[in-house]
Amino acid sequence: MTDPLVIFDLLLGLSIVALALAVLSVRDLFAAIVLFVIFGLLSALAWVRLSAPDVALAEAAIGTGVTGALLLKTLHHLRYVTGTLDRPEAMNLTPVTPVPMPVLWVNAAFCGLIALGLAVAFLEAPKVGPGFDALVAEAMPASGVDHPVTAVLLNFRAYDTLMEVVVLLAAVIAVWQVERGLSEAPAPHLGEVWQGFARLALPAIVVVGTYLLWVGAEAPGGAFQGGAVLASVGLLLLLSRFYVPQPAHRGIARLAFVLGTGVFSAVALLVSGGGRVAFEYPLEHAKTLILLIEGLVTISIAVTLAALFHGREPVALGEEERRNDT
Amino acid sequence: MTTDPMTFALFLPLFGAMAVFLLPRASVAIGLASVAATCGAVLFLARDVLAKGEVMTALGGWEAPLGIALRADGLSVTMLSMTCAVGLLVSLGALDSFKGTGQMRTRQYFWPLWLLLLTGMNGVYLGTDIFNLYVMIEVIALAAVGLTVLSGTRAALRAGLEYMYASILGALLFLLGVGFVYLHVGRLDLAGLIEAEPSGALSAALALMVVGLMLKTALFPLHFWLPAAHANATAPASALLSGLVVKAALYIFLRLTMYMPLLDEIMVTSMGVLGACAVLWGGVQALRAERLKLLVAWSTVVQIGLIFIAFAHAGPPGLHESWKVAALLILAHGVAKAAMFMAAGRIRAELGHDIIRDLDRAPVRPTLAQFTFALAAISIIGLPPSLGFIGKWSLLEGAMSSGYWHWVVVTMIGTLLSVAYFSRVFAGFLRFDRMRNPVAEHQGWALADLPPLTLALAAIGLGLVAAPVLSFIELGYPFGAAP
Repeated sequence: MTDPLVIFDLLLGLSIVALALAVLSVRDLFAAIVLFVIFGLLSALAWVRLSAPDVALAEAAIGTGVTGALLLKTLHHLRYVTGTLDRPEAMNLTPVTPVPMPVLWVNAAFCGLIALGLAVAFLEAPKVGPGFDALVAEAMPASGVDHPVTAVLLNFRAYDTLMEVVVLLAAVIAVWQVERGLSEAPAPHLGEVWQGFARLALPAIVVVGTYLLWVGAEAPGGAFQGGAVLASVGLLLLLSRFYVPQPAHRGIARLAFVLGTGVFSAVALLVSGGGRVAFEYPLEHAKTLILLIEGLVTISIAVTLAALFHGREPVALGEEERRNDT
Repeated sequence: MTTDPMTFALFLPLFGAMAVFLLPRASVAIGLASVAATCGAVLFLARDVLAKGEVMTALGGWEAPLGIALRADGLSVTMLSMTCAVGLLVSLGALDSFKGTGQMRTRQYFWPLWLLLLTGMNGVYLGTDIFNLYVMIEVIALAAVGLTVLSGTRAALRAGLEYMYASILGALLFLLGVGFVYLHVGRLDLAGLIEAEPSGALSAALALMVVGLMLKTALFPLHFWLPAAHANATAPASALLSGLVVKAALYIFLRLTMYMPLLDEIMVTSMGVLGACAVLWGGVQALRAERLKLLVAWSTVVQIGLIFIAFAHAGPPGLHESWKVAALLILAHGVAKAAMFMAAGRIRAELGHDIIRDLDRAPVRPTLAQFTFALAAISIIGLPPSLGFIGKWSLLEGAMSSGYWHWVVVTMIGTLLSVAYFSRVFAGFLRFDRMRNPVAEHQGWALADLPPLTLALAAIGLGLVAAPVLSFIELGYPFGAAP
């Protein structure tokens, strides 16, 4: 008895491995990025097959969508910096000196041994791990939401989630503080179809992102996925030059970056007291508070990801010159 | 509002970081106030730990393993106090380093990154959940990379990129290990790991996590990123990176070995061997370094190696004692190395360069910074009565009494090497005959010399109170008093 889904899974697994190999071996950087995006989409599919729709959404939105856009932007900038913007064929070679073959083989053998050891360790593991499932099911009524993943992320282990948002904040601060001696690469030529596409896609993206956020309380979805989808609005605005970041907008941008972290940690602290510890939401307000946190965190994630795509603090020209003088 | 000092030790620097990012003009005042307030929270926590031995808070009211608990005992409070006290003095020293209009941007970004770093480190020292520890080391990694490239030079950017790759790879290896632990034990809290049955997969998980942490703490041969990163950062950032950041990974390593006692003779000995290689290789590289900050950075590689020797010095049966020696050396190095990097930064600021060969050719003699450097070197070499001496002495004593003479030999060779490479610097401080022009009127003292001097004096003075420090570290040891 061969379940057709088993064949599908086998094909899926094999193509993911093949795509990973292709990404590593292809010399053309643009092709590598495209293959990486396909790799990500198939991985998202694999997560669906593993009954982890939340992870699948995150993989598709962040791991594939936003990361792919970041990689393409980096490639564009790299071509601009190296002066090969108009000569696509010049970028076909990775600008890295080749590693000697013996080194490659020794490395491959070493990695192979480690992978083999890990595979053995993995096979030794129990088929159905003990995990948190029973504990989560037991605590669900006290969580204020109906979707177990949201309950874990925003209630039981909200501390981890807060710190993950802090990671994103640290990333955007670190990116903003890096000084670039170089001006920004000119916008790529987007062609005619673009404007119409943006007009059609933007409203749909906003609806999908907001829906993902809202539905997170009872079904797969949530702040990170919704934020990543909404970030693509920012990406489209930046790419089409509908919006050009101005130095005067830095204050509001900073506010948007810290909004999620700020409200999340403020709520965590303010609910405590009177015998309650931090993050201990009163049950009757739990759902409201979780939705409030998720909504604001979504805005922060969306703005932060878009700012990471822009990749620099908008600094006034005069300010830049003054810094170069000193 | 809660009155739990652990919660405050986490949230005060976090709110401070957000406030300084939003209000860059007031960054100095808000930043200093946040660090000082965090020090206050840690003092309250220390009082609680002195009274009760250990303190726990289950965040959100959810007990582990479902929820995440914060826990503090003697070791974590020691690490927290070191972080906050060193951090406060480095912050005071940074006031001078970043003054002037040209440094406005540096000053604006130093504070949010440093406060986020403090949040991450406090989170590590209070953490009891290995996934949470992973998130915390990611916070630390991003803030630390930001601090590395703060100086904005090309060399710093390159070193920062390399540091980021190493750091992320280390974190991913750690995460892979966490995944294996969850697969086998079904829980992520440290306390749950004690009850786990030893298996091959758990050993693999421990190995993955330890290799990831070795990469983050820069143990030989995974130290490749450290010298360039620490030598090219601005002085206050170097002091934070070398004195404090590498200690977070070391602390997680110590905790893991307490709760996952799967280490056998081979594993423990190989850690010691890697530590010995670090001591010898780092010592030789420090002898060859041309710049003062590079020499100090290589000395960090040596000291990390020494801490791993301290960990291994009595073999697996002595593990329940040797972690204390390692903790003592971590504390000694954290205080002394921060002082040393800041003094090196001051010397560089006064002379305009930090080439060791030309240290004696300047018209200015930054005597106080040189004195600070020498005091810090006393602790790092391990001369009495400094804290470094106490740490090294306990190491040697333990190794002798358990018959592991080879660690004694390695430690002595390392000590001789460190005397040799610091002597290169002292020679530059003391010889004046190569200076043809008369020494300038300006003596090269400044108020900015005081914070590093305080730290260096603390590194020496803590050696005199080593006994109370040691008994404090032992408070709340999760497995009862060691025999």
